[in-house]
Parts: sequence; structure tokens; C-alpha cells
Amino acid sequence: MSETAEKAAEQEVDLTACNEILDQYQDMQGALMPVLQAIQDHYGYIPEETVHLTADRLNIYASQIYGVLTFYAQFHLEPRGKYIVRVCMGTACHVKGAGRLGDRVKELLGITHAETTEDVKFTCEYVACIGACGMAPVIMVNDATYGSMSVQKLNEVIEKYQKMD
Amino acid sequence: MVNLTIDGTQVTVPKSFTIYQAAEQIGIKIPVLCYAKKLLPFGACRVCLVEVEQMKGRLIPSCTTPVTEGMVVTTSSDEILKVRKTVLEFLLVNHVIECPVCDKGGECELQDLTYELEVVTNRFVGEKFDHPTDESNPFIERNMNRCVLCGRCVRVCDEIVSYGSYSFVERGFETKIATAFDRGLDCEFCGQCVSMCPVGALLPRPFKFKARPWQLKHVDSVCGYCGNGCTVTFGVKDNQVQTIRFNDKNGVNDGNLCIRGRFGYSYVNSDQRLTRPLVRKNGELVEADWEEALTAVAEGMNRGKGTGIISGARLSNEEFLLLKEVAAAAGTTNLDHSGGECYKGLTEGVQQVLGLSASTGTFPQVEDADVILSIRSDFYETHPVFGMVVNQAVKRAGAKLLVVSDKKGKFTKLPNAETLLGKPGTEVNILNAICAVLLESGKAVTEGVAGLDELKQSLTDYAPARVAEQTGVSVEAIEAAAEQLAAAEKGAILLGYGLSYTANSRELGIAAANLALLSGLADQDEAGLYVCGEKANSQGAIDLGILPGESGLGVQAMLDAAARGSLGALYIVGEDPLTSFPDGAKVEAALKGAEFVVVQDLFLSPTAQAADVVLPAASFAEKDGTFTNAERRIQRLRAGIKSPGEALTDFAIFASLLEKLGAAASAATPGETFAGLGRLNDAYAGIDLNAIGPQGVVWGGEHLQPKVRNLVPVSGREPLTTRYQLITGSALYHSGTTTTHAKGPLEAVPEPYVELSREDAAELQLAEGDQLRIKGNGAEIRLKAKIGARLPKGVLFAPNHFPGTGLNRLYKGEAAVVVELNK
Repeated sequence: MSETAEKAAEQEVDLTACNEILDQYQDMQGALMPVLQAIQDHYGYIPEETVHLTADRLNIYASQIYGVLTFYAQFHLEPRGKYIVRVCMGTACHVKGAGRLGDRVKELLGITHAETTEDVKFTCEYVACIGACGMAPVIMVNDATYGSMSVQKLNEVIEKYQKMD
Repeated sequence: MVNLTIDGTQVTVPKSFTIYQAAEQIGIKIPVLCYAKKLLPFGACRVCLVEVEQMKGRLIPSCTTPVTEGMVVTTSSDEILKVRKTVLEFLLVNHVIECPVCDKGGECELQDLTYELEVVTNRFVGEKFDHPTDESNPFIERNMNRCVLCGRCVRVCDEIVSYGSYSFVERGFETKIATAFDRGLDCEFCGQCVSMCPVGALLPRPFKFKARPWQLKHVDSVCGYCGNGCTVTFGVKDNQVQTIRFNDKNGVNDGNLCIRGRFGYSYVNSDQRLTRPLVRKNGELVEADWEEALTAVAEGMNRGKGTGIISGARLSNEEFLLLKEVAAAAGTTNLDHSGGECYKGLTEGVQQVLGLSASTGTFPQVEDADVILSIRSDFYETHPVFGMVVNQAVKRAGAKLLVVSDKKGKFTKLPNAETLLGKPGTEVNILNAICAVLLESGKAVTEGVAGLDELKQSLTDYAPARVAEQTGVSVEAIEAAAEQLAAAEKGAILLGYGLSYTANSRELGIAAANLALLSGLADQDEAGLYVCGEKANSQGAIDLGILPGESGLGVQAMLDAAARGSLGALYIVGEDPLTSFPDGAKVEAALKGAEFVVVQDLFLSPTAQAADVVLPAASFAEKDGTFTNAERRIQRLRAGIKSPGEALTDFAIFASLLEKLGAAASAATPGETFAGLGRLNDAYAGIDLNAIGPQGVVWGGEHLQPKVRNLVPVSGREPLTTRYQLITGSALYHSGTTTTHAKGPLEAVPEPYVELSREDAAELQLAEGDQLRIKGNGAEIRLKAKIGARLPKGVLFAPNHFPGTGLNRLYKGEAAVVVELNK
């Protein structure tokens, strides 16, 4: 478990929202995926307590849910930053120096692929092609795309998000 | 039926068969790794590939492909062998080769296949797995580096055990079998997964480095714990039961066992076993020889005030017969077994209504039952392997499961399970209400049934609305249950009885039998009413009449008489009443009041410590004979090892004692005695001991029809309304007090506890493991708290297995004890 996850585990998770989500799907067959997606939407990741609650209420083994969670890349078991910085490492971006962008993120935020800052503000992810090769190299911060990046531009983008809450 | 050709041989099989099963039928063995006959087809390993002429162009997995008419199958060809070999090469890329130190070596399916297909080199290279070994529990070691991802453990834990410990996690090359959040295994430790694993990925830890499989002598016998009567195969070396072998080839339980059967054998090898007779001299129990001890016993029984004999229910049928001869020779009819009250439901209640004192059907008949009603006890805890049968009925055959109980359990979580969760002690009320609905709706079967009017009259007090108010079970649930039972084509009503379920037992037997009649279940050709005894030979004890004879005293009356000083001697065989009987104070008074007490047991139990003579007896693993299980199946026990020291079988002790009493045993060996059982019960007459095969013999046939059809009015109870009430019963890991000497169950549940609901725990601001003071019936005990979701608010549960807790100072046989609870 990473340090961030350990910290999260120490804090009690408010299960009200999870219960509300489960209320909606309680009697629907085969609703595990939408339930997990809704939980992740709300909490930003899948806290362990919500897995046990879901197992209990939907009568699915916790082990099975864990199997689903680890199979799909879309689910995260550890808290993630408020801002997800995705650095594209696809072929075009790679050629255009995406590696240096990755290095710069590490310098600025102290995190690399699949890591989260201690204040849970930023998570860095190296991703394969995000389909914007024309603007390579590309990064995304949450849903916003930033193309034709340079180390200088990256500094500005990160600084912008650092100033935000 | 479907006709097909396999390797040139014509075969006709049912259309539900797969190619693999069809081939097996004509003796063609297709290699497999992921296939297991008791699990659903899966198709994970690709070792069983075959050619089918009608499906050219690719190889077909034979274990998942159903047969079709005219199919032409080839199970072995150059191409098939090449592919199978390649599959093995792939598996061996990351499988660590540590066969010399792997306990599976010699019986590993991967090793055998590699050898058989001569996979001597590997064309592929890759990384070996490097997962840490899970040794977090005392029973099961998980070494995932040896795993071949066949999924048998995942499937058996889901399909049969319904615990769901495992799942496939991650994806692609990283795929592995893990528990939720990839933690150490923490489950009910039945070891079913171990028995299914084809390789050395899951191993029984107590057996690590004990023996190579081929060094073990295999002895088939019957598990000595509960009334389920599972076949167990001892793996014997150096006169010790080293392990219980996986065996689904013969026997009655498809190789299924619970933690007691698979890991609970160790008490047999315990160094705490009694090895010499003990005789009290100057207030101390000191070792003596058999001659001295038995002379003392015979004298003690002849002192004139009369003898009372209390037997446990784990003696063999043959020993029961000799025990009756001992009683006769001692001139007493004061003979009884176990708690005395607990099986009255069977011998009086069910007998009164149906004229039977046994289950009407067999366990396998429940596998395809359509409606199952489980009363009071959670069979997963009292009879775990029968619980697995129910689980399969529900999960595979879609049976509807109804549970009438005062606490939730594994049954209540099964799909399609409806729990009628009533207040403790109100089961009779609920069953009466279901009967009332059946009669009211005109769906009841009443033809040829006596006592209808009286019953109808009595049921006016049990209208669903009223019972709902009393018990907390909804009217709709009661009505739905009645409707489902009436509609059942093959229904089963399950009722467990045992020492911890003594309350209302006669009433409950009657109510369940009434319901079996009215719902028509008693008159089906299969299944019906199951009355399941707590111990390995509870049914044998009832069949052979280990019950008070004419003007004889039952257990409770014997204890009363002894306490008054009007009974001279107590002879207690294979039972520890001081610990396990309700109302321990009464037992204590009886042991003090009796002039002479003999205890015959494996261990120096608290009762034995109070005896004048203690006779060391043999365990189930050390004797020949027969047990009759809860489905009336007579099965053979076979001695796997010799008894420690001078300990003797109960049979041998009774035979010697008979001589001392001036009589002689009617037969010299258990084998010869078996023929005499027919004298005690017609149903046992004419059964040839040598004809009792691995499947046993079910006396009376696979199904018993009721001998009489008498409806009997029976009263329920008003539930307690106090803030807290305590119930007792069996916990999965244990069986009676014997398991407290067995390493396996004891390591899983090492100490007594009291379970309570989260709500109550929150109110008392309790944390798991906090000490609680429980006051009731003028006594107080202390137990650790266990907080869970099984119990309703206000209800506490304490298992009854542990000596020293003094639970029976509180519990005097009531359905529920009024208690006060303090931190």
C-alpha cells in the first residue's frame, strides 16, 4: 500500500453516498459495473469499505468485486489527485519528447506514473495514445487537453492548477 | 440419449453429457487440469482438446463441449499431442519447478501430465512467478507461484462451499488467484480448495513435510464428528493419522469435507489422550491396570442403589449393543444418551405424527429439491457438508430456500433464500402459522390424515397476523412460505437436533412433522423431512434404543436422582456432561451426589476429573464398527491406527466389564456383533456387514413412507421481551467438546465468545474482543465480544463447545435465557 492509501485507510469513509448508489441498483441484476463507476465518480476512487458494503448489499463476494476492480484499468483502489495529469507516451508524442515532459512533472510535483502527491492534489499517469497526435506532444489535466507542449508550457499549466484549489 | 463415436467406439450417453464424460464412460481417459467432476465445466486449461470431425479446423475442448448426435471424436493424434504438449510448455514457462520440496510431488496432476507427454524441454522462456507465499493461517498454505490458473479453487469455494474466498484478479500475464484485496486467506478453512488443487499451490499446512503421498497407508472410514457421516480417508504413517486424504472416488460426500473433517483429526494424535485407567485413591486419581479399574467399576455398579448409564452419541452401533448388554447385566434400565431432552423431538414428536424416528430421504435427494425449509439451526454450522448439498440445490438447480431461524447465517445469504427471522424460541409458532395458512387456503393435503379437526382448532391461536406480531416475521413471508411448500414437487424440511438445541424439541418435532404432512412433503417419493442428529452416531443411538427402558430414568431424571443421593452409580461413556449439558449446576450436584462415578473417555475432561474411575477409550480412528448417519446410512468405520498406551475401544471395555459383571458379550468382535443389531431394530436385520460398500447401506431404503399420519396440536411460546436474551448452539469450527482438543478447529476459533449485533455493540460502546459480563439464571460468566451482522438486536449467541466458560451455569435448556449484559 502506498503512503497515500495508508492515510486514506486511516480516515473513515462516509458510506452515505455509497448506500444511496446501492439503493438505486439494489434490485437490478448485473449492476456491478455501474455501481462501481458511480462509487468512483463520487469518491474519486474505490475505498475498501465501499467494496465490503457493496458485497454485503448486492450479495456478491468481495473477492469477485476485487477481481473486477483489478481487471479494468478504469478503477482505482487508492485515492487519486484532484487533478489527473495524463502525459501521452504514444508514438508521436514520444518522438516529440514526451519523456522530457514526464521528467518535468516529476521535478515539479515529485510524482511519476501512477503516483499521487501527498496532498492528494495531483496524480500523474503515463498513457498510451490519447488520439491527438496532430498536437503532439500532448498532456491532459482532467478533461482539458494541452497540445504542442514544451517544458516551458508545462510549467505554466501545472502552475495554473497549483494555484487553483 | 445421443449416439456418437469416440476413437472408433460407438457410445450412447445422455444429451447433457460433454465429450469428456462420454469418453470417460467407455474408459477413454482424456487428460485434464481444470476439469473436476463435481464442478461445472470451465474450459480454462486447454489440455483436454480433441478433434471432432464435424468441427474441423480447430481443436475442441472436450470438457465443455456437449455431445451431439453422430459426432465423430478423436482423442489422440499427432496434432492433438503436439498442441497438448505446447499447452504444457506454456504453463511451465512461469510455473516454478520445485518438485523435490513440493508436498504435491508424486500426486501432482501437472507433474504427471508433463511426464506422460514427455515434455522434457521448453521452447519458450519467460519470467517465473515470484509471489510471496501466504502462510497467514494455520491450515492452508497458498503458493501462487505453483498455480496453473485452473480456477478449481475459485469454483469450489463458490459453487459448493458458497464462501467465495477467491477470484481471478489482475489481467493477462499478471492474472493470479487472490482473495479480496489480495490479503492472507481468512475464511472458514474447510480446505475444499486444497482438495481441488491439481498442483502444489494450495496445501494443508499441518501435513507439510510429513510424508510423501506414496508412503501413506490409506484407510477409508467415517468422520467421527457430526451426523453428516462423511467418508474420510486417513493417510496413515508411523501409527499416526498424518492427514485426511482427498477422496472423491468412493464414499458418500463427493470428497467434500468441512474444517472438522479435514483438519480436526489431530485430537486423535493428541498427547493429552488418556493412556491408562485411573482409579481414585485417597482423593487422587492415580494410574491403575485394567483389572483393578474394571473390578472397581463392577463393584461400584453392584452396590445396590442402582446405576444410571449416560452415553454419548459417538459410539459405534456395535458398542451401543454391548452397552445395552452391560445395562442388562448391571440390572438397570436407566440408560440414556446425550442431553436426554435434545432428541425428544425425534423419538417422541416425529414418531407421534409420522410413526418414524429418522429422516425420510437421503442427502443426495436434496440436491435437486425444488423447495427447502431449514428450521432453527444453520446447517452450515451443524452439518456443514449437508449445507453444501443445500447450497448446490439452490445455486445449480434453482431451489427455493426458506429459513426459519433466530439468527442469520450462510443459508440466509444464498440466492433465492427467504429468511423468516423470528424471535428466539418461536419457531413452533411460525411453523404453526404456515400450517394454518395451508389449511385456510385449502392447499393442505388432508387425505388420510387423522386429527385434522383438533389441529384446526388449536391453530386458531396461530393466525398469521398474530404470529407475525409475536415473532416479527411478516404475514407475507409466512403466506409465501406456505404457498411454496404446497407447490413443492420435491420439497425438503430440515430439522437439526443436538445438545444445544434442547428447548421445545418435542414441540418442534411435532410442528415440523405436521407441516411435512399438510404440505404433502411426507408423502413424496423422495426427500421429505430430515431430522439430523448432532453427533456421528446420534441416529444409531436412537435406532438401537439407547433410551430409558421400562420404568427406567432418562438423563435428566438420572441426574436429579443422583443429586438426591438415590442413585448409587453413574456410568458416563463418551460424554462430558459437566461442560456440554444444559444446567451444569445440576450435573455437578449429580456427580457429587452419586456414590460412584465412572467416566469412559479419550481425555481427562472436567467430568472425568470428578470421577472415581476413569477408563481410557479409543477414538473413531482406532476402531472397527458402524455408524448410522442422519440420513439412515449405515457406514463402516475402519481402524487406521492403534490406540495410545493401554486405551481400549469402548467395545473391548464393555466386553471385559460384562465378564466382571458375571455375563458375557453376545459376540466377540464388532464384525460378529453387527448381525445382532437386527434384534434391537428390524431395520438392521438382514443387512450383511460385508455388503456395506463405500456408499454404505441406507436402512429402510432410500425413502421412508410415514407409518402413521396423525396431526398433533402443539403449542408455541411467547417470546421473551427483555432487553437481552442469550441463545446457544454450534459454531462451524467445532463439534461438541471434542474439537477443543483438535488443533485445527482450535486454532481457527481458539476461545469462547459471545456474538452480538452491531446495534447492541454501538449502544454499549463495545469493540471486538471486549470482555462482557453476562448475568442470568443467578449466575454470571465473562466472555469476549464478537460483533457481527448475524443477530437481531437484543439477541446474544454463545457457542457451547468450550469447557471452562461455564455457559451451562446460565443455560439450563431454555430456548433463550434472559440475561443482563454489562461491560
